[in-house]
Parts: sequence; structure tokens; C-alpha cells
Amino acid sequence: MSTVAPARERDTAPTPTGIRRSSRPRRHLTSLSWSSLLYVAPALAFFAVFVVYPIGISVWYSFYAYDGLTEGTPVGLDNYTAVFTDPDLRAALLHSLVLLFFYAALPVAVGLLLAGAMSRIRVYGLTLFRALLFVPQILSSVVVAVAWRNLLAEDGPVNALLRSVGLGRFTTSWLGNFDTALPSIGVVGTWVEYGLCMVLFLSGIVAIDRSTYEAARLDGAGAVREFFSITLPALRPQISIALILTVTFALRNFDLIWNTTRGGPGTSTTVPSLYVYQDAFQNRMLGRASALAIVLTVVILAVVVAVQLLLRERDGRGRGLLRRGPVRPARKVQP
Amino acid sequence: MKSVRREVRRRVLRERTGGRAGAPRRAWGAAAAVAVAAVLACAGCSAPGAGKSATAGTQSFITEPVTTEQVADLGDVTLRMWADQAEKPLMKSVVPAFEKKYPNVTVDITYKSFDDLIATVVNAASGSTPPDLFQGNIGYAVDGALVKAKLVRPLDDVAATYGWLTGTGASTLAPARWNSAGTAFGDGNLYGMSPISEVQGIYYNKALLKSLDLEPPQSLSDLEKDLPVVKEAGKQPIMLGNSDQYAATHIFSDLAVTEQSPASISDWIGGKAGTTFATTGNEKAADTMADWAKKGYFGSGYDGLSNEDAIARFAKGSGAFFVGGSWNGAKLDPEKFGFGALTTGGAGATASPWHIAASSKATPAAVAFLAALHTPEAGQEILDTGRLPVVTDGAKGANSLQSQTLDVLKRTIAAGTQVGYYDWSATDMLSVMGGRLQEVMAGRTSSAAFTKAVQDSWRKARESE
Repeated sequence: MSTVAPARERDTAPTPTGIRRSSRPRRHLTSLSWSSLLYVAPALAFFAVFVVYPIGISVWYSFYAYDGLTEGTPVGLDNYTAVFTDPDLRAALLHSLVLLFFYAALPVAVGLLLAGAMSRIRVYGLTLFRALLFVPQILSSVVVAVAWRNLLAEDGPVNALLRSVGLGRFTTSWLGNFDTALPSIGVVGTWVEYGLCMVLFLSGIVAIDRSTYEAARLDGAGAVREFFSITLPALRPQISIALILTVTFALRNFDLIWNTTRGGPGTSTTVPSLYVYQDAFQNRMLGRASALAIVLTVVILAVVVAVQLLLRERDGRGRGLLRRGPVRPARKVQP
Repeated sequence: MKSVRREVRRRVLRERTGGRAGAPRRAWGAAAAVAVAAVLACAGCSAPGAGKSATAGTQSFITEPVTTEQVADLGDVTLRMWADQAEKPLMKSVVPAFEKKYPNVTVDITYKSFDDLIATVVNAASGSTPPDLFQGNIGYAVDGALVKAKLVRPLDDVAATYGWLTGTGASTLAPARWNSAGTAFGDGNLYGMSPISEVQGIYYNKALLKSLDLEPPQSLSDLEKDLPVVKEAGKQPIMLGNSDQYAATHIFSDLAVTEQSPASISDWIGGKAGTTFATTGNEKAADTMADWAKKGYFGSGYDGLSNEDAIARFAKGSGAFFVGGSWNGAKLDPEKFGFGALTTGGAGATASPWHIAASSKATPAAVAFLAALHTPEAGQEILDTGRLPVVTDGAKGANSLQSQTLDVLKRTIAAGTQVGYYDWSATDMLSVMGGRLQEVMAGRTSSAAFTKAVQDSWRKARESE
């Protein structure tokens, strides 16, 4: 993971990339030797049997109409055309895009805010808070779904709270209302994911050299300036990882929706993975389910690659952003 | 090998010159590996499932009831079964009696929740060591698949020998009859049997009705008269929990069966060619659902409430009526609640049918077990454990609620309105119909659009067979 180099090394690094990286390719070369292959063989075999082979099987099934029992009939690309022409699926994909905001963008934003605050303010029992805020991440999604189903019920605590502060007219059956069901599930996703983001960012902040902050403070930078000029750019690799995890979670999300709304009311909360489940386990259409799963995988891969390309640091761009922080205020002090 | 080296060197050079794409390239590498794996997996490239020819084996037909000697001839044998968790109370009394009568047989039952059972039982049945006796589910997803793949033994001989074809339970066998291709049911060879009956009806809160001076409803028209009175009094008329999307379709089917001939509905459910869902009766029933929802008869927020939560609330006293299946009765205090029929008796069906694996080595024992489930004694046991038996001869309810429910069941069977459930008609019908009906009730789509969407889905299911 060359992208997760400590922040300090980077912002001080006038080192030409060529020199620093030259040791890496040589290691790469020796890794091709047979003895080293032997070391990774067990893991590789495991990976092949439990990951690569099943994916291969899915690809194979996706070209057939197959019920899992009787002999399948080859249908060419029909399953794939079905995936791209089904209006229900297109709607489901749109829902996924909405969920991307709630499952990826919001948790990263909230996580950054919390991490920024926690790194600056001295909080007693920080470890405890950190652990508590991380709890949603380790809970089973069925537990999360059941808990939130009760919280968001017509007569649940959320509505009770609204009523108690005089906002009674906004109460609704959050998961049973066509307009609020999708955002409600989104909020649940935000709640699940922000803890992970926060912990990732906190670990990143710890790695930032305190002297950069001191320097910035001496130069008169405030909390906000510090955050945008030092913390945020230094957290780039963590943000990239957080986004990859949350985006993947958002696009393949199934259990939360299945256990809260089953895609309803109507079709207002359907997502592609819901159709994968229904086709594979209820409709016994393994071919179509496989095709959809593969399309979904490719979409997730594409989004992840896009995120990495957008957030990667290369050449001057990343460092330029960093330099803008400590350097410019310094000029202000001089005259 | 040489070309590999060259490739490596090229990459090294690219990296040195700053051109890099660490993770993305890894992603592409993975994609390439997957593609290679796909090609490898497809190397033989026969159709999936080609090797699996069903071994129907030599079926020995039964012309006389299985004797203890015949079962004893099997030697020490384990009868492996898969069952719905709901069967546990019944099995607790049936199994010991069975093992006493056939001492060489050990019954080994794997219990699963209903959802879990229907999601896994077909795979278990197609495995190399399938359970001898297991519960499927009526409709294409489970029973249809089992019949199509020839995994279950036809039971026509058993039914004839044991007299299931006559008597009170005879009509309940229809949904387990399939054509030989496994593409239509309701008629044809018998592939399963269920000792458990279900009936739809109206549960009512006795005290609440009394306080409003209302008589217990004995038909849908009674119910319709009561609804505005309850609403007027500031109470919720019907308790409904529809987040699982099926509860409302059951009320809809109760309304629909009063608007048209029950036979036409069973034909449509069974997949009979030329039938349609787009009838004026179904549209009228959908309009009534929308009307009731608009008038607030179901309260608000029913789409965010599960059926389980709804029956729990009803049991605690909120809501005057609960329109639903007899299985909900087990959660209600028999002193406080009553059960009324729908107009012609009420729609209903049977619970998940039992099947004997075609490859079972213990067929005589399995047949004997099914026979033990289809007796008046087992019938009474079923009633005592809170459900309704198919064999109702001599069965007596332990309380008024049970007796009322049993009475409604008998009237339903007599009226021939045990049409079954709409979602049997296609594997995805529950979500299609359930979801669209939610839209009708929310006033977001018309009843005509609803029946058309359902019929389109039904037609697609027929075409794919």
C-alpha cells in the first residue's frame, strides 16, 4: 500500500519519486521466484477455491436459463439484456445512488467532523467514546434493522421525541411512508458507517506530526484553517479507504433493507442486490441472478477504481494542496 | 516466460517514470483473473445441471396400508425429516407414538423457520443424501421445482389406499396436484399432503364491540357496516401490519372471492391458460382496499408495521378487527376475542405439504408416518396445539375461539372457497402483488393498473415455463 505512507514523509518530501521507489520493483522481481510462490500457495489455493471459482461459476451460469436443478438452456446474452432493460432494476439502481449519499458521503463527512473535533478537544474517556461510537459497526445488521424498525415506528421513540418538542405534525411511519422510507434507511446506514470512518480518521490524525499543527498555530491558523490545511489533506489515504469500504457497503447493501422494508412500500426501497436474492432464492432463476450479480460487481469495481483515481496522490497535486497550508500563512507574518 | 519478464520490466519502467496505477491495476488484474477462471470453469462448457439426472428409481406402488412387518423389514433405520418449526408441538406427540409402534425406526427431525425452510429445502432434496420426508411449499418456487426435477414421489397410490380422497380433507389435496412437467398445479398427480388447514376470517375484540353496541360480524357485509361506527368512536377499525407486504393481499383476496366465482380464482392461481387477473371483481376489491385505507380503517402507518407486531397490538386491545388467517389465533386470548366468517365462508388453504423423497430408502416408514398424521387423533392434537386440522371428524375445540375457527373452516370447505393464496401463482407474485397493492392503498396507482401489472407478471411466469 504505497498510498498509506505517513503524512509527514510526504509533506517534507522533496525526494524524487524515482529514488524512493527504486527499491520496490526489485522486490517485485524476486517475488516471482518459485520458492516464494510456495509460501503464498495455501492462501492462493484458498482464494482460488472460495473466491475465484465461485465467481467463475457465476459467470458461467449467467449465460444460461437455469433453475439449479434441471439442465439449463443456453440463452446467450439474454440475461444481461434483461438486466439492462428491466425498468424495475433501473429504479433500483437509482435508489442505490441515493443510498450512496447516505452510506458513503454522509458517514465520511460526519466521521471527519467528529475526528477533527476529537483530535483537537481534550476529551476525558476518549477511548470509551471511541469504542461506543464504533459499536454500530460491529452489531449484526439484523439487530440494527430490528432496533431501527422500532425506533422509526409510528409510535416509536423518534416520533415521540418529535411530538414532545412540538413537531407532532412531522411524525409519520418513517419506514412505511413512500416518501420517507428510502431516506430513513439511508440514515440507518449513516449511523452504521460513521463510526468506522471516524476510527479510521482518528488513526490517521495520530500519525500527523504535531509540529505541523504547532507551526500552523504560530502562523495564526485557527481551528477551521488547521482542519482544511493540515488534517484534511493528510487524511487523504484514510478517506480513500473509507470511501471504498462505504461505497461497497452502499452498493451491495441487502440485509438492512430486507429486514426493514423488503423493498417496500411499493418498490420505493428496492436495490439491485434485493433482486439478486429474489431471483436466486425465491424465483429459482440462477442465470439472471448471476448476470445481475456480475453487473453489480463490475459497477462496484468501477466506482472503487474511480474513487481511487480521484483521491490518489501523484506528482505535484497532492503536495501542492499540502503546501498551501503551512506556507502561505507564514508569508502573512513576515512583512 | 520471456514475455512475462518483459512485461515485468515494462511495468518497472513505467513505475520508475512515475506512471502508476497501483490499486486500479490490481483491480484489473483481479478482473482478468476472474475472466480466466470463467473461461476455465466453462472449459467443458456443458449446461449447468446437465449431469444431474434424477434417479426416480423403482417405485413400488402401494395397494394396501403399510404393515408393521413391512416397516420392520427395513431393519434399524433412521427416518430423516425436515420440518417447519411450527410443527414442533404436533411432532412432540406424534413422533413418540410412531416410534413406539415401529420400534426399528428412529425419527430425526431438522426444524427450520418457515423462511429458512423454503429457501433451503429444494437444495437439500437435490443433494446426495436428501431427507426422506420433508415439507415443501405450494407453488412454483418449491413444490413446482421439486416435481419438475422428479425429486418427490407421487402419492396417488398412498392417498387411494388410505382413503384420503374421500372425507373432510379431500378437497385440501388439490394444490399438491401437479401436471407431470411441473408447470401447472391444482390438477394432475398428487405429490404431497398436509394435515394442517388454514382459513381466513375476521377476528374481533369482544369487549370493544360490546362497548360500541355492535354484534360480532358473521360476514364481510357485517364488517363493512361496523367499520364506520368504530371509526366514528375514535378507535382503529382494522389492525393491519403490512411491512411484509402479504397481510393486505390476504384481505384483498377475502374481498375478491366475494366478487367472483371461487373456481375462477383457483384456476388463475393454478396457472390455467386463458384465465386473467384483470377482472371487474378484482378491480372492485382493490378499489375497496383503497377506499378503506383512505377512510383510515387501517389506521396510519400500516406499511411500516409487521404482521407480527400488528397481531401483538391487536392482542393487547388496539383495533376492533383483525382480518387474517387462522394461524394468528394462537397469539390471542380465547376469552377476549372471537372469530367470524367472511361472506361465503372465507378463503383459505392448507399449510406446507409433506413430500417423500423419490430416492428415499425408507419409503414404507415415510408412508406410515404420513398416515399417522392423517388421523382423527392427530387432527385433535393439531387443534389442541392451536392450529386447524384437515381431518375434522370428531375434533372439538378447547375454547370458544377454537370452536368458532373450526366451524368457519368446515363452512369454508363446504362452500368450496378454499381457493388458496394468490402468491402461489408465480414465484415473484408476493412482491409484485404485495408491492402494487401498497401503491393502490396509498392512492398512488389505480386498481386497473394494479390488476394489469399482476396479470403481466403472471403471463411472464407462464412464458418462462
